[in-house]
Amino acid sequence: MSAKVTGLTVRHRRNTALDAVDLDFAPGVHGLLGPNGAGKTSLIRVLATVSPPDAGQVELLGTEVGRGADHRERASVRRRLGYLPQVFGYYPGFTVREFVGYVAWLKEMDGAQVAAAVERAVDRVGLGERIDAKVKTLSGGMVRRVGIAQAIVNEPALLLLDEPTAGLDPEQRVEFRALLREVGRTSTVIVSTHLVEDVAAACSDVTLIEAGRIAYRGTTAELIELGDAADELGGNPIERGYTAALRAHRTAVGA
Amino acid sequence: MTTVRLGLPVLYLRSRALPATLAALAAIAVLAAWAADRLQDRPEFDHTARVPVLALAPLLAAAAIGTGLLSHTEELDRTAVRRWWPRRLTYLLVLTALTAGALALAVPGHPEQFGAPAMVRNVVGATGVTAAAAALLGARASWLPMTVYGGAVYLAAPRTPGGAAAYWAWPMQPGPEVAAWVMAGTAYVAGAALLALRGPRPDRDHGSGRPS
Repeated sequence: MSAKVTGLTVRHRRNTALDAVDLDFAPGVHGLLGPNGAGKTSLIRVLATVSPPDAGQVELLGTEVGRGADHRERASVRRRLGYLPQVFGYYPGFTVREFVGYVAWLKEMDGAQVAAAVERAVDRVGLGERIDAKVKTLSGGMVRRVGIAQAIVNEPALLLLDEPTAGLDPEQRVEFRALLREVGRTSTVIVSTHLVEDVAAACSDVTLIEAGRIAYRGTTAELIELGDAADELGGNPIERGYTAALRAHRTAVGA
Repeated sequence: MTTVRLGLPVLYLRSRALPATLAALAAIAVLAAWAADRLQDRPEFDHTARVPVLALAPLLAAAAIGTGLLSHTEELDRTAVRRWWPRRLTYLLVLTALTAGALALAVPGHPEQFGAPAMVRNVVGATGVTAAAAALLGARASWLPMTVYGGAVYLAAPRTPGGAAAYWAWPMQPGPEVAAWVMAGTAYVAGAALLALRGPRPDRDHGSGRPS
């Protein structure tokens, strides 16, 4: 398993964002769905080693990185990790090349390989021609793609993306999903999104989170099948599957 | 390509607005030297007239350093492989040393009164308070507490040095006043430690109330 959490609990002051969650992820592309406020970002941030959990174990790429873990071990994981936060900033004076280079520096990549790695990452998100443009001169969708480029600059073994398709136009979304499938052939990709079509097109399986708990886990095909059975809900099969799974969970919790 | 390959630490320094900070510090030092020279050359004044320069220049310099500590990429910085505290501490120490040196040169002579030693002490103290403010309030607002405190002390400090005022009005004391050095030194150690360990407080609270 590339990523495994056991009894993961995250609290924000009095609110419990994640409540003793057990999850594991193998290589491939995994979708993380759920209503707003369900705990998706909290899970991604713990997996990105950005915020420590309040309780539970977090094992990434075979190494424990949770609260109290050794810094050296966490550092070795961070070298192989890519992370696109929902909101990321950039120094206003930086070009695309410089911004992605800065993240390569954060990851302590080999200096001799950085220049080529930066160009490759920027090419993969289709911004090769704008590599020397200032990030602040780019459109919202392009900035999002710069964010994806920084997340893949170190060819991560574990790639965490929080709402990566927000602000992308339909053509860019199609290209982005193709990139996800390509990365997912060798790496573990976890995509948090509220767009079920992203999951249908790019993810092999789905984890549905609601109110800090796992509401559903299964393959994308199974979720679509669930949707086929719930014809009366309207919308497309995966939307119906999402809604049906969520409602079944709520009924089970309520009971 | 070579710029990126050679320039990785340079990218870090640029991301913290170091060129702008250095330019601001140089301008403050030149302005302080000019003002100090003008003040003590006036026939009705002597070298003790440099007090406003000693009080004001470190405030401006600390503000330039403090606001420059802002990280635009706080969330990504948290995924850095290397620990941050040695970098933050080195950055602050080097900037403090440069500033203290440059501003000390702006007030030559009379070390027993309001000369280079008092200037160095004030730079150290003001930078310490500002570093603590950056850690607790955020880099953008880090200039505020020291400016309010420095301004209040400038107006309220008694004309005779020493006594209790050597503690609470440390920026207004002559160079050799030990109590004032203790206050400034304590502020620096506390401020530098807070900043190194916690980093500048992020603008947004990522932990709560945000959509997941």
